[in-house]
Amino acid sequence: MIDFKNASVTYPGGVHALRDLTLQIPDGEMVVIVGLSGAGKSTLIRAINGLVPLTGGDVTVDGKSVAKARGGELRRIRSRIGMIFQTFNLVKRTTVLNNVLMGRLHATPTWRSLVGRYRPGDVEIAMRALERVGIVEKAYVRAANLSGGQQQRVGIARALAQEPKIILADEPVASLDPPTSHMVMRDLQRINRELGITTIVNLHFLDLAKVYGDRIIGMRDGQLVYDGSGAQADENVFRDIYGRSLTADDVLEAAATR
Amino acid sequence: MTASVIPLPRRPEAPSRTKRNLTVLATLALLVWALLSVDAELDRLVDLPARLASMFDRMFLPPDWDYFGTAAAAMVASIQMAWIGTLIGAVISLPLGFFGARNVSSGPVSNMVRLFLNAVRAFPELVLAVVVFVPIAGLGPVAGTLAIGVHSVGTLGKLTAEAVEGIDPGPVEAARATGARPLQVQRWGVIPQVLPEVVAFWLYRFEINLRAAAVLGIVGAGGIGQILSNTLEYRRFDKAGMAILIIIVATILIDYISGTVRRRIIEGSGARRIQGDVLEQPELVEVPASPLSERGRAMARVDTDVG
Repeated sequence: MIDFKNASVTYPGGVHALRDLTLQIPDGEMVVIVGLSGAGKSTLIRAINGLVPLTGGDVTVDGKSVAKARGGELRRIRSRIGMIFQTFNLVKRTTVLNNVLMGRLHATPTWRSLVGRYRPGDVEIAMRALERVGIVEKAYVRAANLSGGQQQRVGIARALAQEPKIILADEPVASLDPPTSHMVMRDLQRINRELGITTIVNLHFLDLAKVYGDRIIGMRDGQLVYDGSGAQADENVFRDIYGRSLTADDVLEAAATR
Repeated sequence: MTASVIPLPRRPEAPSRTKRNLTVLATLALLVWALLSVDAELDRLVDLPARLASMFDRMFLPPDWDYFGTAAAAMVASIQMAWIGTLIGAVISLPLGFFGARNVSSGPVSNMVRLFLNAVRAFPELVLAVVVFVPIAGLGPVAGTLAIGVHSVGTLGKLTAEAVEGIDPGPVEAARATGARPLQVQRWGVIPQVLPEVVAFWLYRFEINLRAAAVLGIVGAGGIGQILSNTLEYRRFDKAGMAILIIIVATILIDYISGTVRRRIIEGSGARRIQGDVLEQPELVEVPASPLSERGRAMARVDTDVG
């Protein structure tokens, strides 16, 4: 259970990225957050694992305050939360397996990780994560030699290797082409359904949001402007979230056929 | 209908050339002043070819082949000085480089470390050897090795710090997000990104240090430089010729090997990239071309004449 209580983030320079947000996400949900760039989607996601500190209010994950956590306490919370990024954020010069094993660092003693001697059990977990996203055969390939879609799946495997309760995905398909986007979104959906991992995804393509979001949260100017099921979210709802009429750029399929 | 004259926009004035002319004049004046003040006996340039020919004759026609063993052993000692000195520099500079990088260290710490590195770098090996290490360690290769090591710390530390500052911050954020401890974040988020460049710096530094080691012998730090200085002092030009031959061959050989290894390290590291299904968004598809990797590649191309 993720619980935002009057959460606010004001960046130095005075930008209000989150304004007094109150929101609850129960375990096991697949939530898609939509909104224009700058609406606070990224900030919302990064507030959950403390990568962006709150300037007001609180966020709790399973009852533990992220805002008040420091050091080891914060790292323990983060270890239960996997994260997937728009630009994949892999270390391109090392192997796929080493990237996925990053997800086991939280459970590995420092000396072991410094010399790169992970426990066999942790390597097994990493391999299983790669199998789940279907690229275990690339385990010993340099990440730089993979295509974008494959790199994103490595990113998902890295998050899975943490054995998380929650997965955060910040625009996970924004740098991928449409078929690959659907593949990655289906992977995330499968993980949510099969493993019961709470999954929170930022998207800006409305059709993807409707297809994959069991619940859609609309953000505008750092505020929650819509919270409902994907089925209910029609064009009027999105027009409301975006504060303007919709264009072809807002839809993946249209953007693809241009 | 009369042809109406469209007024053309006024043409710009040609920019003043005064600045440029002054710069040329000043440069010429400096050159003349320098030539006059060094009091060079330019007329001796005339018989330079003859002198060179005579020296070449005495040194290499033929060199003292019996001296090969002694000179080669001294060359090996010089190579060892350079290698150990480089290792000392590499081991000490690596953590200093991390502490000196603003993005992974804190502001005050990185400023202090950089100040220290700049100070160390300001002293050439020769000065370090004569002023610091010969008095401490006595004449011999130990003093030379230490001088090379300390100077290398300065240069390698700065290059490492810059390499670390040029990394892609994405993987670091990803590592932090997994709940990894700070040292683990450095080990798996930063080191794999910079290691190829840093190792290439080390090898390049070894090539430079080899030349420094040869020179250091002249001030009594052993190795091939000492041989050269001794034989020239006793005017045994055939022996000096042998030593010079060995220096040339060994330097070229080591530069070639080291350069090949450096090229492989830099170009083998993610040089090939499959773009595949990534959309044509240059800022996402391309690896951020950090200034360091450019420099790294440039270094991989550096030829043997850079000392």
